[in-house]
Amino acid sequence: MSVQDILAAENELTHMLGAQQAVVLSTRVRLARNLSGFPFPGWAKPAQRKEIANRCIDAFSKFPRFRKAHVFKMGDLPDMERAVLVERHLVSKELAAGKSGAAVISRDQTCSVMINEEDHIRLQVVKAGWHLRGTWNIAEQLDEALGASLGLAFSDRLGFLTACPTNVGTGLRASAMVHLPGLCLAGHIEKVSRALNQDGLAVRGWLGEGTEAAGNIFQISNQQTLGLSEDAIMKHLGTWIKSLVEQEWNARRKLAAEEGPRFVDRIARSLGVLRSAYLLSSAESMNMLSHLRMACDMGCLPEANRHIIDRLMIEGQPAHVQARRGEELDSDGRDMRRAASIREALVSFPEVGPPTP
Amino acid sequence: MAGGDVKPAPASPCQVTNSAFANVRMSQPLQCSVCDAVATVHLTQITQGKVHKVHYCEACANKGGAGDAAVFQLADAVSAATTAPTLVCPTCHFSDADFRRSGRLGCPDCWPVFLEALDGLLMKVQHQVQHIGRAPSGALALGQIRHRLQLAQTEIAKAIAAEDYEVAARLRDEIAQLSAQLPAE
Ligand SMILES: [Zn+2]
Ligand SMILES: [Zn+2]
Repeated sequence: MSVQDILAAENELTHMLGAQQAVVLSTRVRLARNLSGFPFPGWAKPAQRKEIANRCIDAFSKFPRFRKAHVFKMGDLPDMERAVLVERHLVSKELAAGKSGAAVISRDQTCSVMINEEDHIRLQVVKAGWHLRGTWNIAEQLDEALGASLGLAFSDRLGFLTACPTNVGTGLRASAMVHLPGLCLAGHIEKVSRALNQDGLAVRGWLGEGTEAAGNIFQISNQQTLGLSEDAIMKHLGTWIKSLVEQEWNARRKLAAEEGPRFVDRIARSLGVLRSAYLLSSAESMNMLSHLRMACDMGCLPEANRHIIDRLMIEGQPAHVQARRGEELDSDGRDMRRAASIREALVSFPEVGPPTP
Repeated sequence: MAGGDVKPAPASPCQVTNSAFANVRMSQPLQCSVCDAVATVHLTQITQGKVHKVHYCEACANKGGAGDAAVFQLADAVSAATTAPTLVCPTCHFSDADFRRSGRLGCPDCWPVFLEALDGLLMKVQHQVQHIGRAPSGALALGQIRHRLQLAQTEIAKAIAAEDYEVAARLRDEIAQLSAQLPAE
């Protein structure tokens, strides 16, 4: 079993198996859970962590959604493969950095579990596009099964007990990955991000790679986990995402109207560079791919091509480029490989047209 | 000491947002407190029991400075709030000194031990100290029931004030049914 299977498999986020959407790239629900009777991973002894991992892996392997799941023990994986899992948001940097963590990933990559990260169990469900209810329903089912098969640490007053006070209660982090080139180009993104923050939502970049530009992609998530029902948390996020999508469309329409030919020119230049460049850095390609994604949303390019952009964004990340090549590459080597795959993928793209009204 | 052979996992950013404390003026673009670039990550940090906002650009926030500082200061706030000299969990021997170092608790049983010391912090971080969400399958979701009871009591007062006796009667039945599920105090 290897990370190559993860790379090779078609899944919602990289292929058009789910319905890709304008603005919202993906919806994610994460639940933090712990076994009662065991110290949290940061305080547990190696033998205890091993026992915890065995119990969790055993429990999850029995759930139908995890049939034939990938099981990865971080200590057994080469650096590059762990980095691929991080770039896919299947595991966190923290889990990948430790030796005693493990991950269980469903065949379709929709459901994944981090074991022995900050908490014993971090269960994650992700779907392409905006599908908070559908994502939650799967997480709830799995949580129900989990509670029936393992004794979970829970208190009547504090809910699900977690290692950190910021996760206690529901243990729920609901988030949406949103693509906001319109708001970024219009210079409104700081204002929007502050408004979200003031209303209890966190705004983060796509991947947290220090110097990498994020391609105008942001992750919006709830902060409060205690004293709100799961429903209330999701409604709050949902209201904001709906409003964000609207604001983004308004910004794009205004921009297109005001800039006229310059709006189309920006997209056409990005397509031109991506189609012919020999070296492409991650930051440069992300920003240009962001223009193309917006173009697909607005009818400047065929909407059916949008999933290709999404796949290139994910596969253009450094560890992905190297893992697909099967060897470590220096910066020039990565930029060359990245440019080659993007050139190849964009060959069939038509010329950029004006936005449909 | 238990767990001494294990380095705690690097702190994931314990980012805390607090809408009540965010009275930032909307007109000024915020600068990163490290490098002066435009800040896009806005965090609430807690120092000595006080909440204040900090702003980082994406790059600085991701260097980990933001996350670690937040966790460290979260732990600081707890130590300031703790009046007792030492608290030790009888199950796992985790102490308040350990919490100051890691910003994480030792085991589920640490919660009741540290709850009083964490109470003020929880209010700041979470605004609430009573869970009202899901319970593990099989467990009785008492918090949920209390929450619904509270809602029904507010609504019945409104219904009576509005002389809507049909709704009030329905709510009265609901309250009786919910109360019956709670253990006697
Ligand atoms: Zn900075
Ligand atoms: Zn303990």
